[in-house]
Amino acid sequence: MSVDGIVVSSGIAFGQALTIRSNSHPLDLSLIRLDAIEAEKDKLLRGINNLIAYLLRCQHHLNENGDHYQLIDADIALLEDSELHQLLYRHITQYRVSASVAVNRIFRQQAFEISEIDNPYIANRSHDILCLSTRLNNALNGHLQWDLSALEHDTILLADDLTPAEFAILPLEHIKGIVLESGGLTSHTAILARSAGIPALLNCPFTINEDDIADGTELIIDALNGTLYIAPNAKLQSHFQLLAQQEQTRHLKLKQFKDDKCQTQDGHGVKLLANIGTLSDISRMNDVGAQGVGLFRTEFILMHANSVPSEQQQYKMYCEALFGLNGLPLTIRTFDIGADKDIPWLNQQHEDNPALGLRGIRFSLANPHIFISQVKAILRAACHGTVKLMFPMVSQIEELEALLVLIEQAKSQLLEQQKAIGNVSIGIVLETPAAILNLPSMLPLVNFVSIGSNDLAQYTLAADRTNPTLANNYPAVSPAILQLISMAVMHCKQADKEISLCGEIGSNPEVLPLLVGLGIDNISINPANLLAVKANLVTGHYKDFVDHAQHVSQLSRIEEISQAVKAYKHHAFDVH
Amino acid sequence: MYQKTVTITAPHGMHTRPAAVLVKQAKLFNCDVIVECNGKQASAKSLFKLQTLGLYHGVTVTVSACGEQAQLAVDEIGSLLATLS
Repeated sequence: MSVDGIVVSSGIAFGQALTIRSNSHPLDLSLIRLDAIEAEKDKLLRGINNLIAYLLRCQHHLNENGDHYQLIDADIALLEDSELHQLLYRHITQYRVSASVAVNRIFRQQAFEISEIDNPYIANRSHDILCLSTRLNNALNGHLQWDLSALEHDTILLADDLTPAEFAILPLEHIKGIVLESGGLTSHTAILARSAGIPALLNCPFTINEDDIADGTELIIDALNGTLYIAPNAKLQSHFQLLAQQEQTRHLKLKQFKDDKCQTQDGHGVKLLANIGTLSDISRMNDVGAQGVGLFRTEFILMHANSVPSEQQQYKMYCEALFGLNGLPLTIRTFDIGADKDIPWLNQQHEDNPALGLRGIRFSLANPHIFISQVKAILRAACHGTVKLMFPMVSQIEELEALLVLIEQAKSQLLEQQKAIGNVSIGIVLETPAAILNLPSMLPLVNFVSIGSNDLAQYTLAADRTNPTLANNYPAVSPAILQLISMAVMHCKQADKEISLCGEIGSNPEVLPLLVGLGIDNISINPANLLAVKANLVTGHYKDFVDHAQHVSQLSRIEEISQAVKAYKHHAFDVH
Repeated sequence: MYQKTVTITAPHGMHTRPAAVLVKQAKLFNCDVIVECNGKQASAKSLFKLQTLGLYHGVTVTVSACGEQAQLAVDEIGSLLATLS
């Protein structure tokens, strides 16, 4: 049995379940007696003071200049706020309710007000308020903290949420992983788990039929893919043990390259970016030192939804991604929907040949309302980071012009609604031979292009990429594709535009020297392969890569090319 | 009354941590310091109230104070708002 969550700190963890729940006392909403009001006020103040004293004790474990210490400082500053005390006192007196009810209502009101603020990062802080409210209520009822001191074995901690203070006193030597029901990529717990290097999943609904997982149940956190396994069978156990070992060995070998400058020995820089489909991938790409996102496949959002996510929902998600990236570029590919990607609620018409049908921007141009709301969300999110916007399946200038008109429409709608618009650079994915042949006319309208090598191979070789019997004889690394890539590079260099590659061949470390030698500026890679690719970049020489690419470009047989690629070892580094 | 208008430059705005620093600083002054933003007002000494203003990147904020140390307080709090991150 398994449950999915968002990876905020990657790795694989094994341990026994321990669920910690804030004691949720049912609130007693009844009126208190008039002569009990003063006593309730005293109780409130005692609770606040006890919680502050507890937080100060937690701070002792911490470095004064760390984030963690300052977060607890902020909690204390809130609890000491005399305006807050006045509000609570007034509520108790006016409504004749208990201290607990007053805390619950005032903090909930506060969290609501914060969550309505038109800025996702600030609005997210409402979680912290609710968390503090729960802690204060526990303090009022005499339950300040969980006693975890008796922990002896490897434990996976399950909770609704954890405050920074709670995190500070965890016995980290026994806590192997953390799974929370709430939280987001930028929540405090996420930041703390990452810096402690503990695999963690957030937004993971682990209660089943409202029952908690029994304490002591064996668990595995797969914080590479974002899954929690409950009571895994022996087969799964050994699978993950093996995986964990491999990960560790690989990681040790490769991590030496993580902080290396992304350039060859002779100083030729290439940006190595990440392909992502979910927010979890952002944590993973940060772990391997990617220089940004080269491809965000947004259609994955649709596959997990029941209807088109609203502009606001998308806006929040793109912002969340940008906050996770901390200034690094986010390349967003607009929805690449086609009849081959089954999204039942879209009621797509049956097509005999979906790969050649209404997919990518063909779908977007036929359904402009979906496209415009996505573009609006992206333009707004661009105020919070570096955004590059690219369109899938553009083959000719008419399509590109039509898209640019829709973007202008999106902009004027936002202006009318007085919403701020950020700068985005515009690009297209090169997936068809036509797109590359037509580049000279389209390049003046874009800032960059990115080669989608999987589809480029499928459309050039007329070979269905999902058909396993064709895979071997129609590979992407083949003469026709290499010629098209060279042609695209030539056009881009002439027009002085950036050219990237975001297909699967970019994730193959062996192909890296060839791609760089052909003149690709940026390569977008699956995070799991990034360091292996980088190892081949930083240990090689650009002039050798160019020679290699020239040699390979002259070969006319797939077999020769594939041998040349395999045989090209510019160094002794072997990651496997 | 003394007042001043500044723009929030912190990329993530005045989130919890910088706001707590601001409050600490404001409490050092005897006078009340009022922060106004997005049509709402709060005392710079109240973290609880400040949090609801929406002090995010790019918004303009007016800081004002009356009485003893008013000018000093407004200058100090104004420059913290403009620079803290």
